[in-house]
Amino acid sequence: MRSSLVRQALLLAALAFIPGIGEAIYFRDKVSWQSPIPASEMVTQTQARAWRENTIWVDARPDAEFEREHIPGAVLLNEDRWNELLPQFLTVWSPEKRVVVYCSSQSCNASREVARRLRDEAQLKNVFVLQGGWEEWLKSRK
Amino acid sequence: MRTRIFAFTLSIFLCAIARAELKWEQTSVELHPAPADKEAVGHFKYQNTGSQPVRFKSVHTSCGCTAAQSQKDEVPPGEKGEITATFKIGDRTGTQVKSVTVQTDDPVNATTVLTLKAVIPQQLEINPTFVFWGQGEALKPKSIVVRASKDFPVKQLKVTSSSPDFQTKVEETGNGQFKIDIQPSDTSRNMAATLTIQPEGSSKTFYAMARVTNAAATQ
Repeated sequence: MRSSLVRQALLLAALAFIPGIGEAIYFRDKVSWQSPIPASEMVTQTQARAWRENTIWVDARPDAEFEREHIPGAVLLNEDRWNELLPQFLTVWSPEKRVVVYCSSQSCNASREVARRLRDEAQLKNVFVLQGGWEEWLKSRK
Repeated sequence: MRTRIFAFTLSIFLCAIARAELKWEQTSVELHPAPADKEAVGHFKYQNTGSQPVRFKSVHTSCGCTAAQSQKDEVPPGEKGEITATFKIGDRTGTQVKSVTVQTDDPVNATTVLTLKAVIPQQLEINPTFVFWGQGEALKPKSIVVRASKDFPVKQLKVTSSSPDFQTKVEETGNGQFKIDIQPSDTSRNMAATLTIQPEGSSKTFYAMARVTNAAATQ
Protein backbone atom coordinates (compact mmCIF):
# COMPACT_ATOMS: atom_id res chain seq x y z
CA MET A 1 0.00 0.00 0.00
CA ARG A 2 2.79 2.42 1.02
CA SER A 3 4.97 1.55 -1.99
CA SER A 4 1.98 2.13 -4.27
CA LEU A 5 1.51 5.62 -2.77
CA VAL A 6 5.20 6.43 -3.24
CA ARG A 7 5.03 5.16 -6.83
CA GLN A 8 2.02 7.36 -7.52
CA ALA A 9 3.68 10.39 -5.94
CA LEU A 10 6.80 9.85 -8.03
CA LEU A 11 4.71 9.41 -11.16
CA LEU A 12 2.86 12.67 -10.48
CA ALA A 13 6.14 14.49 -9.81
CA ALA A 14 7.59 13.12 -13.07
CA LEU A 15 4.49 14.21 -14.99
CA ALA A 16 4.74 17.70 -13.52
CA PHE A 17 8.43 17.83 -14.41
CA ILE A 18 7.86 17.32 -18.16
CA PRO A 19 5.95 20.58 -18.83
CA GLY A 20 8.32 22.32 -16.43
CA ILE A 21 11.35 21.35 -18.52
CA GLY A 22 9.47 22.27 -21.70
CA GLU A 23 8.69 25.72 -20.34
CA ALA A 24 12.26 26.25 -19.16
CA ILE A 25 13.54 25.44 -22.67
CA TYR A 26 10.89 27.48 -24.49
CA PHE A 27 11.24 30.54 -22.27
CA ARG A 28 14.98 30.23 -21.68
CA ASP A 29 15.56 33.81 -22.90
CA LYS A 30 12.58 35.24 -21.11
CA VAL A 31 12.79 33.85 -17.62
CA SER A 32 15.26 35.52 -15.35
CA TRP A 33 16.92 32.96 -13.10
CA GLN A 34 19.07 35.54 -11.42
CA SER A 35 18.48 38.97 -10.02
CA PRO A 36 19.48 41.53 -12.67
CA ILE A 37 21.67 43.26 -10.11
CA PRO A 38 24.30 41.40 -8.10
CA ALA A 39 23.62 41.56 -4.36
CA SER A 40 26.90 43.43 -3.87
CA GLU A 41 25.53 46.35 -5.88
CA MET A 42 22.31 46.65 -3.87
CA VAL A 43 22.19 48.43 -0.56
CA THR A 44 19.58 48.62 2.17
CA GLN A 45 18.46 51.89 3.69
CA THR A 46 20.09 50.98 7.01
CA GLN A 47 23.46 50.37 5.34
CA ALA A 48 23.29 53.57 3.29
CA ARG A 49 22.27 55.67 6.30
CA ALA A 50 25.19 54.23 8.27
CA TRP A 51 27.62 55.75 5.72
CA ARG A 52 26.27 59.16 6.82
CA GLU A 53 27.92 62.11 5.06
CA ASN A 54 29.87 59.74 2.82
CA THR A 55 26.67 58.94 0.92
CA ILE A 56 25.54 60.85 -2.15
CA TRP A 57 21.84 60.13 -2.69
CA VAL A 58 20.89 60.16 -6.37
CA ASP A 59 17.26 60.46 -7.38
CA ALA A 60 16.68 58.74 -10.75
CA ARG A 61 12.96 59.56 -10.93
CA PRO A 62 11.47 62.08 -13.40
CA ASP A 63 11.84 65.80 -12.57
CA ALA A 64 8.24 66.25 -11.37
CA GLU A 65 8.50 63.43 -8.82
CA PHE A 66 11.81 64.80 -7.53
CA GLU A 67 10.34 68.29 -7.21
CA ARG A 68 7.36 66.93 -5.24
CA GLU A 69 9.60 65.33 -2.63
CA HIS A 70 12.93 63.58 -2.38
CA ILE A 71 15.44 62.24 0.15
CA PRO A 72 17.00 65.27 1.87
CA GLY A 73 20.18 66.30 0.09
CA ALA A 74 19.54 64.04 -2.92
CA VAL A 75 20.84 65.06 -6.36
CA LEU A 76 18.57 64.70 -9.38
CA LEU A 77 20.03 62.52 -12.14
CA ASN A 78 17.62 60.89 -14.57
CA GLU A 79 17.95 59.66 -18.13
CA ASP A 80 15.45 62.22 -19.44
CA ARG A 81 18.10 64.92 -19.01
CA TRP A 82 21.24 62.87 -18.46
CA ASN A 83 23.61 65.15 -20.41
CA GLU A 84 22.43 68.21 -18.51
CA LEU A 85 22.25 66.65 -15.03
CA LEU A 86 25.44 64.58 -15.05
CA PRO A 87 27.80 67.61 -14.77
CA GLN A 88 25.75 68.86 -11.78
CA PHE A 89 26.08 65.48 -10.10
CA LEU A 90 29.81 65.30 -10.82
CA THR A 91 30.44 68.61 -9.08
CA VAL A 92 29.25 67.10 -5.78
CA TRP A 93 30.85 63.70 -6.42
CA SER A 94 34.10 62.81 -4.74
CA PRO A 95 36.12 59.55 -5.06
CA GLU A 96 35.79 58.61 -1.40
CA LYS A 97 31.98 58.93 -1.42
CA ARG A 98 29.44 56.18 -2.00
CA VAL A 99 26.69 56.81 -4.51
CA VAL A 100 23.23 55.41 -3.71
CA VAL A 101 20.71 55.60 -6.55
CA TYR A 102 16.97 55.22 -6.02
CA CYS A 103 13.76 55.35 -8.05
CA SER A 104 10.08 54.98 -7.11
CA SER A 105 9.93 51.38 -5.89
CA GLN A 106 11.56 47.97 -5.91
CA SER A 107 10.12 47.22 -9.36
CA CYS A 108 11.26 50.37 -11.15
CA ASN A 109 14.26 50.14 -13.42
CA ALA A 110 15.48 53.74 -13.57
CA SER A 111 17.86 53.45 -10.60
CA ARG A 112 19.48 50.33 -12.10
CA GLU A 113 20.00 52.09 -15.43
CA VAL A 114 21.42 55.24 -13.85
CA ALA A 115 23.74 53.16 -11.64
CA ARG A 116 24.84 51.12 -14.67
CA ARG A 117 25.65 54.26 -16.68
CA LEU A 118 27.60 55.77 -13.79
CA ARG A 119 29.63 52.57 -13.50
CA ASP A 120 30.09 51.80 -17.22
CA GLU A 121 30.16 55.20 -18.89
CA ALA A 122 31.56 57.51 -16.20
CA GLN A 123 33.55 54.59 -14.70
CA LEU A 124 32.71 55.51 -11.12
CA LYS A 125 33.26 53.04 -8.31
CA ASN A 126 31.08 52.52 -5.24
CA VAL A 127 27.76 52.99 -6.99
CA PHE A 128 24.80 51.19 -5.37
CA VAL A 129 21.06 50.80 -5.91
CA LEU A 130 18.77 51.40 -2.95
CA GLN A 131 16.57 48.39 -2.18
CA GLY A 132 12.88 49.29 -2.29
CA GLY A 133 13.57 52.82 -3.54
CA TRP A 134 11.56 55.86 -2.54
CA GLU A 135 8.56 53.72 -1.52
CA GLU A 136 10.67 51.99 1.14
CA TRP A 137 12.09 55.33 2.31
CA LEU A 138 8.57 56.64 2.86
CA LYS A 139 7.63 53.52 4.86
CA SER A 140 10.60 53.94 7.18
CA ARG A 141 9.62 57.55 7.81
CA LYS A 142 6.18 56.58 9.18
CA MET B 1 -35.40 17.42 -12.08
CA ARG B 2 -35.35 17.56 -15.88
CA THR B 3 -36.12 21.32 -15.74
CA ARG B 4 -33.18 21.88 -13.38
CA ILE B 5 -30.80 20.05 -15.67
CA PHE B 6 -32.09 22.08 -18.61
CA ALA B 7 -31.69 25.37 -16.71
CA PHE B 8 -28.17 24.44 -15.63
CA THR B 9 -27.13 23.46 -19.17
CA LEU B 10 -28.71 26.62 -20.59
CA SER B 11 -26.89 28.87 -18.08
CA ILE B 12 -23.56 27.25 -18.95
CA PHE B 13 -24.30 27.66 -22.66
CA LEU B 14 -25.28 31.32 -22.21
CA CYS B 15 -22.17 31.99 -20.16
CA ALA B 16 -20.07 30.46 -22.89
CA ILE B 17 -21.53 32.52 -25.71
CA ALA B 18 -22.15 35.77 -23.84
CA ARG B 19 -18.53 36.50 -23.10
CA ALA B 20 -16.28 39.45 -23.59
CA GLU B 21 -13.00 38.95 -25.37
CA LEU B 22 -10.39 41.49 -26.27
CA LYS B 23 -8.11 40.27 -29.08
CA TRP B 24 -4.82 42.10 -29.52
CA GLU B 25 -3.34 42.48 -33.00
CA GLN B 26 0.11 42.46 -31.39
CA THR B 27 1.32 42.63 -27.80
CA SER B 28 4.85 43.68 -28.60
CA VAL B 29 6.14 46.46 -30.82
CA GLU B 30 9.71 47.20 -31.85
CA LEU B 31 10.56 50.76 -32.81
CA HIS B 32 13.68 52.20 -34.42
CA PRO B 33 13.61 55.94 -33.79
CA ALA B 34 15.89 58.28 -35.77
CA PRO B 35 18.83 59.87 -33.87
CA ALA B 36 17.03 63.24 -33.65
CA ASP B 37 13.67 61.82 -32.45
CA LYS B 38 12.52 62.94 -29.04
CA GLU B 39 9.94 60.21 -28.53
CA ALA B 40 8.88 56.82 -29.89
CA VAL B 41 5.21 55.94 -30.16
CA GLY B 42 3.85 52.38 -30.21
CA HIS B 43 0.30 51.50 -31.22
CA PHE B 44 -1.29 48.38 -29.78
CA LYS B 45 -4.49 47.60 -31.68
CA TYR B 46 -7.30 45.47 -30.32
CA GLN B 47 -10.80 44.29 -31.14
CA ASN B 48 -13.56 43.06 -28.90
CA THR B 49 -14.46 39.75 -30.55
CA GLY B 50 -16.88 38.77 -27.80
CA SER B 51 -20.56 39.56 -27.38
CA GLN B 52 -20.18 41.62 -24.19
CA PRO B 53 -18.58 45.03 -23.72
CA VAL B 54 -15.07 45.12 -22.22
CA ARG B 55 -14.15 47.80 -19.71
CA PHE B 56 -10.59 48.99 -19.09
CA LYS B 57 -9.87 48.98 -15.37
CA SER B 58 -6.35 50.38 -15.51
CA VAL B 59 -3.40 51.02 -17.83
CA HIS B 60 -0.02 51.16 -16.06
CA THR B 61 3.46 51.68 -17.48
CA SER B 62 6.71 50.28 -16.09
CA CYS B 63 8.54 53.60 -16.27
CA GLY B 64 7.85 57.28 -15.69
CA CYS B 65 9.36 57.80 -19.15
CA THR B 66 6.43 56.06 -20.85
CA ALA B 67 2.85 57.32 -21.00
CA ALA B 68 0.04 55.02 -22.17
CA GLN B 69 -3.38 56.11 -23.24
CA SER B 70 -6.50 54.20 -24.10
CA GLN B 71 -8.85 55.71 -26.68
CA LYS B 72 -11.91 54.64 -24.73
CA ASP B 73 -12.94 53.31 -21.34
CA GLU B 74 -15.34 50.71 -22.69
CA VAL B 75 -15.17 48.69 -25.91
CA PRO B 76 -18.54 47.52 -27.26
CA PRO B 77 -18.70 44.09 -28.99
CA GLY B 78 -17.09 44.10 -32.44
CA GLU B 79 -15.40 47.46 -31.96
CA LYS B 80 -11.74 48.16 -32.58
CA GLY B 81 -9.41 50.54 -30.85
CA GLU B 82 -5.84 51.00 -29.73
CA ILE B 83 -3.65 51.80 -26.79
CA THR B 84 -0.94 54.30 -27.54
CA ALA B 85 2.32 54.10 -25.63
CA THR B 86 4.60 57.12 -25.89
CA PHE B 87 8.16 56.58 -24.79
CA LYS B 88 10.16 59.72 -24.01
CA ILE B 89 13.65 59.04 -25.33
CA GLY B 90 15.40 61.84 -23.45
CA ASP B 91 19.12 61.07 -23.22
CA ARG B 92 18.64 57.30 -23.19
CA THR B 93 20.77 55.10 -25.43
CA GLY B 94 20.76 51.50 -26.65
CA THR B 95 17.85 49.08 -26.47
CA GLN B 96 15.08 50.10 -24.12
CA VAL B 97 12.24 47.73 -23.19
CA LYS B 98 9.20 49.22 -21.47
CA SER B 99 5.97 47.48 -20.56
CA VAL B 100 2.36 48.57 -20.34
CA THR B 101 0.06 46.51 -18.12
CA VAL B 102 -3.58 46.64 -19.17
CA GLN B 103 -6.31 45.39 -16.83
CA THR B 104 -9.82 44.80 -18.08
CA ASP B 105 -12.98 43.09 -16.85
CA ASP B 106 -12.54 40.47 -19.59
CA PRO B 107 -12.60 37.20 -17.64
CA VAL B 108 -10.52 35.39 -20.28
CA ASN B 109 -7.66 37.90 -20.39
CA ALA B 110 -8.01 40.13 -17.35
CA THR B 111 -4.37 41.28 -17.56
CA THR B 112 -2.36 41.84 -20.71
CA VAL B 113 1.25 43.01 -20.73
CA LEU B 114 2.19 45.02 -23.81
CA THR B 115 5.88 45.43 -24.60
CA LEU B 116 7.44 48.41 -26.30
CA LYS B 117 10.99 47.92 -27.46
CA ALA B 118 12.87 50.96 -28.72
CA VAL B 119 16.27 50.54 -30.33
CA ILE B 120 17.92 53.94 -29.95
CA PRO B 121 20.85 54.38 -32.30
CA GLN B 122 24.10 55.17 -30.58
CA GLN B 123 26.12 57.40 -32.89
CA LEU B 124 29.12 57.68 -30.63
CA GLU B 125 30.49 55.48 -27.89
CA ILE B 126 32.45 57.60 -25.41
CA ASN B 127 34.67 55.81 -22.94
CA PRO B 128 34.87 57.08 -20.22
CA THR B 129 32.54 60.09 -20.12
CA PHE B 130 34.36 61.44 -17.06
CA VAL B 131 38.02 61.91 -16.17
CA PHE B 132 39.33 63.38 -12.95
CA TRP B 133 42.53 64.28 -11.14
CA GLY B 134 43.14 64.37 -7.41
CA GLN B 135 44.58 67.38 -5.62
CA GLY B 136 48.27 67.73 -6.39
CA GLU B 137 48.25 64.85 -8.88
CA ALA B 138 50.87 64.94 -11.66
CA LEU B 139 49.88 67.19 -14.55
CA LYS B 140 49.57 64.34 -17.03
CA PRO B 141 46.84 64.24 -19.68
CA LYS B 142 44.05 61.66 -19.43
CA SER B 143 42.35 60.18 -22.46
CA ILE B 144 38.82 59.57 -23.63
CA VAL B 145 38.23 57.17 -26.52
CA VAL B 146 35.41 57.98 -28.94
CA ARG B 147 34.18 55.29 -31.30
CA ALA B 148 31.75 56.09 -34.10
CA SER B 149 29.04 53.58 -34.98
CA LYS B 150 29.29 51.85 -38.39
CA ASP B 151 25.90 53.29 -39.32
CA PHE B 152 27.04 56.86 -38.61
CA PRO B 153 30.62 57.22 -39.87
CA VAL B 154 32.43 60.26 -38.52
CA LYS B 155 35.33 61.88 -40.37
CA GLN B 156 36.07 64.68 -37.95
CA LEU B 157 35.39 65.47 -34.34
CA LYS B 158 35.32 68.92 -32.78
CA VAL B 159 35.88 69.11 -29.02
CA THR B 160 35.32 72.27 -27.01
CA SER B 161 36.09 72.73 -23.32
CA SER B 162 33.80 74.97 -21.26
CA SER B 163 36.78 76.10 -19.18
CA PRO B 164 40.21 77.39 -20.27
CA ASP B 165 41.59 75.38 -17.32
CA PHE B 166 41.30 72.21 -19.40
CA GLN B 167 42.94 71.89 -22.83
CA THR B 168 41.93 69.18 -25.28
CA LYS B 169 43.67 67.52 -28.23
CA VAL B 170 41.83 65.25 -30.68
CA GLU B 171 43.65 62.52 -32.57
CA GLU B 172 42.12 60.14 -35.11
CA THR B 173 43.33 56.63 -34.43
CA GLY B 174 41.62 54.92 -37.41
CA ASN B 175 38.55 52.69 -37.90
CA GLY B 176 36.23 55.52 -36.90
CA GLN B 177 37.97 55.91 -33.59
CA PHE B 178 39.33 59.06 -31.95
CA LYS B 179 41.37 59.80 -28.86
CA ILE B 180 40.80 62.98 -26.87
CA ASP B 181 43.62 63.98 -24.54
CA ILE B 182 42.59 66.28 -21.71
CA GLN B 183 45.14 68.31 -19.83
CA PRO B 184 44.33 70.41 -16.76
CA SER B 185 46.34 73.61 -16.24
CA ASP B 186 46.61 72.99 -12.51
CA THR B 187 45.73 70.25 -10.01
CA SER B 188 46.07 72.28 -6.83
CA ARG B 189 42.49 73.56 -6.81
CA ASN B 190 39.00 72.22 -7.42
CA MET B 191 37.87 72.91 -11.01
CA ALA B 192 35.68 71.35 -13.65
CA ALA B 193 34.81 71.54 -17.34
CA THR B 194 32.20 70.14 -19.67
CA LEU B 195 33.64 68.92 -22.95
CA THR B 196 31.33 69.31 -25.92
CA ILE B 197 31.94 66.69 -28.58
CA GLN B 198 30.53 67.52 -31.98
CA PRO B 199 30.87 65.02 -34.84
CA GLU B 200 31.14 66.69 -38.23
CA GLY B 201 27.86 66.66 -40.12
CA SER B 202 25.77 65.57 -37.12
CA SER B 203 23.12 67.66 -35.42
CA LYS B 204 23.61 65.75 -32.19
CA THR B 205 26.03 66.94 -29.53
CA PHE B 206 27.74 64.65 -27.03
CA TYR B 207 29.32 65.46 -23.70
CA ALA B 208 32.13 64.38 -21.39
CA MET B 209 33.32 65.88 -18.13
CA ALA B 210 36.70 66.66 -16.61
CA ARG B 211 37.36 67.65 -13.03
CA VAL B 212 40.05 68.21 -10.44
CA THR B 213 38.62 66.96 -7.14
CA ASN B 214 39.49 67.74 -3.53
CA ALA B 215 40.49 64.15 -2.85
CA ALA B 216 43.35 62.04 -4.14
CA ALA B 217 42.49 60.31 -7.42
CA THR B 218 42.54 56.53 -7.74
CA GLN B 219 41.77 56.35 -11.47
